Amino acid sequence: MDTEKLFAARLRAARARPYLATALFAMHVVESSRVPTMAVDRQWRCYVSPAFVDRTPEEELASVWVHEVSHLLRDHARRGDLAMRALDLDGPGDRLRINLAADCEINDDAFGDGLVEPAGAIYPKTLHLEDGQLMEDYLRQFSLGTRYQHLVWLECGSGADGLEREWEFGPDGPDGGHGLSDQERDLVRFRVAQGILGNPGRAPAGWRRWAEEAFHPPQPWRQLLGAAIRSTLAAAGAGEDYSHGRPARRSSSLPGIVLPSLRRRPPRVTVVVDTSGSVSDSELGTALLETAAILHAAGGRRESVSVLSCDAAARAVRQAADGSGWALIGGGGTDLRTGFATALKRRPAPDVIVALTDGQTPWPSTPPPCRTVIGLFPRRFPRTRWNMEGDPDDVPDGPPDWAKVVTLG
Amino acid sequence: MTSSASASPQLALADQLLALLRESATEPRQDLQIEALTLAVAADLPVLLWGEPGIGKTAALTQLAAELDLPLTTVIASVHEPSDFSGLPVIGDDPAVQGVPLAPPDWAVRLVRQGRGLLFLDELSTAPPAVQAALLRLVLERRIGSLQLPPGVRIVAAANPRASAADGWELSPPLANRFVHLDWVHDAQVVVRGLGGVWPRAELPRLDPERLSAAVEFARRAVCGLLTVRPELTHRLPSAEARRGKAWPSPRSWEMTMRLLAFGSAAGSSREVLSLLVRGTVGDGPGLELLAAMDRMDLPDPESLLAAPAAAVLPARGDLRQAVLDGVVAAVRSRPTLERWDSAWALMARALESCPPDVLVVPVSTLASLRQDDWEVPELINRFASAMRISRRAERSAALTSAGAGRR
Repeated sequence: MDTEKLFAARLRAARARPYLATALFAMHVVESSRVPTMAVDRQWRCYVSPAFVDRTPEEELASVWVHEVSHLLRDHARRGDLAMRALDLDGPGDRLRINLAADCEINDDAFGDGLVEPAGAIYPKTLHLEDGQLMEDYLRQFSLGTRYQHLVWLECGSGADGLEREWEFGPDGPDGGHGLSDQERDLVRFRVAQGILGNPGRAPAGWRRWAEEAFHPPQPWRQLLGAAIRSTLAAAGAGEDYSHGRPARRSSSLPGIVLPSLRRRPPRVTVVVDTSGSVSDSELGTALLETAAILHAAGGRRESVSVLSCDAAARAVRQAADGSGWALIGGGGTDLRTGFATALKRRPAPDVIVALTDGQTPWPSTPPPCRTVIGLFPRRFPRTRWNMEGDPDDVPDGPPDWAKVVTLG
Repeated sequence: MTSSASASPQLALADQLLALLRESATEPRQDLQIEALTLAVAADLPVLLWGEPGIGKTAALTQLAAELDLPLTTVIASVHEPSDFSGLPVIGDDPAVQGVPLAPPDWAVRLVRQGRGLLFLDELSTAPPAVQAALLRLVLERRIGSLQLPPGVRIVAAANPRASAADGWELSPPLANRFVHLDWVHDAQVVVRGLGGVWPRAELPRLDPERLSAAVEFARRAVCGLLTVRPELTHRLPSAEARRGKAWPSPRSWEMTMRLLAFGSAAGSSREVLSLLVRGTVGDGPGLELLAAMDRMDLPDPESLLAAPAAAVLPARGDLRQAVLDGVVAAVRSRPTLERWDSAWALMARALESCPPDVLVVPVSTLASLRQDDWEVPELINRFASAMRISRRAERSAALTSAGAGRR
């Protein structure tokens, strides 16, 4: 095998993508004529076909190195297993789909900037899909018809799709511990992620997102919102206090003494909804339905929950009790401060405020005298309307730290 | 329980069948999660197992208790009231003189009387916050009402992840900080073996008496070394909603980490097991930083390598080998003498024997640039011709790529 060419390509790849260098050098090379091109296994061995090295230009080889190491860093083997289980898939055809979807996730922003596009690489556009998505998203959007028959030779190994091949060495390979253990793989991934986060200017957006989520994958927002609201409702002080209204449980052991008992009334919750133009109706609808379901499940009674639409002015306060659904009025700019003020002015005062907003608003400068959960619709860019109205550099502050914040969607 | 003689013959047969079904053996088996659990129990730290319902947490605990020969006491936290853990007030003859003692529940009394045991607090995450607050005292101070749990009692708890606990509360950060969190997942092979009658055996880690003080020294060096460089990791409350209820770094959890490292090191546990434990005590991010720092601690010291290049043992993995050689070059740069420079070349030559040449390009070219005018180029520099050729090739193809990009 022309190892000089192969390793010159790896060096070239490490120079073009310095933040991947640790991972590139951590791979162990195994010469193999059983693979059509280059393939990786779960233990970070890289199987290379000598014929492929001979016929491929060196600058393309560099790109293939980056491609293969991306499969490993992005943990496609494990994610492939999870996707197979989640979508109830089975068999080599589906593993090939996982490989294709994984390739799309990598290739849509891997090349350029010093790396050529290798011939025959799969892009989302090859499958008529949009760029910038994750493997799991791509996987749902195409099936293997005869249209893609020309792709079946594709073979990136178990490191790309989770299916072990007979020519792979496996966990305890004959090469005496050149494979990486779970812990070592995590550490290499962690180093690469730290490198990207420490110097985010150098890496493209796809890698930055990967680095941010590598060890803290985003959780489903429904569970997070549910947990946040539940723990707020359950916290001491929300609708819970000592009262002499009923005898305490301990009274029987203390005859002649009147002890207060700990009583609980359903906490009063006000949901403040940002109905400004920047929040879409479908987003709001889902979030509101979800909130209602959580409050219901957490034991909040309908009459103790009210909803407030809020744009620049806080409007119609509705009890959740009318059952006809919550009509929301609004549009235009947001000032959640009015929403909070209106909610707090009500009597009896709420124990908990749940605010659903995209966060493009000024926040109250002092914490309200009750617990607060903020459901935040993610926005990648500062809203244009905000920029037009004021100073273009005036990006609104993030949500305040006295609230529990859950990012929705 | 034995079937009484008066039971009907059919019931007696049923009992017999049940007894046969219960018969099972154990076998030693490499199982990381059991090893981690046993090590934490040996180190006398409270463990919290996170796992879906029905995954065999209770079965694992029963096995562990049997193996350690400790009586198992199971308490379902979610069906208890706070006073069951803090004790119920009982009035004596003269409260003004004797005060009002807080009576502990019967299982606590039994535990104390036995003097040893495994206390299993099940369904912790579905216990309401007030119960969790009462459990704080039990877990931290080992007190139930007026009873003090004897040192022979170990505490293990279990919780369902939020995804599967429909009415689950979130574990409060103070309580979460007192546990070693272990994710409990089932291994299909173990389950099949177990249903077939053979369960994996948890063995107490064998501490090597020779290594005790070295283990303590190692654990202290690892944790203090990291916290010296990264003091902000000393205490960091979980802020992101997704991380609440899990492990987070604080002086308390760092002390627990240190204890686990010392035990793991004295028992010769693998890095995999230590990784589970460390990440489960201070959280993923700080845990990984500690493990990465420990990796660096394991790397050979540049000065001793320079002192005896012929005997050098270099790590096999490319990235680690590069890190070691970079360290050697940095050491030569900080105190450049001809002797050290030559010795570094010998090291490079040794490294080249067993690794791809691209790994060496950076350290070799930096080392070459350190040459002073009166130093003679060592003969073995010719061996690096291929590394230098590779470097030039990579530069040339980079130039081609950028020229190509310019044309497009």
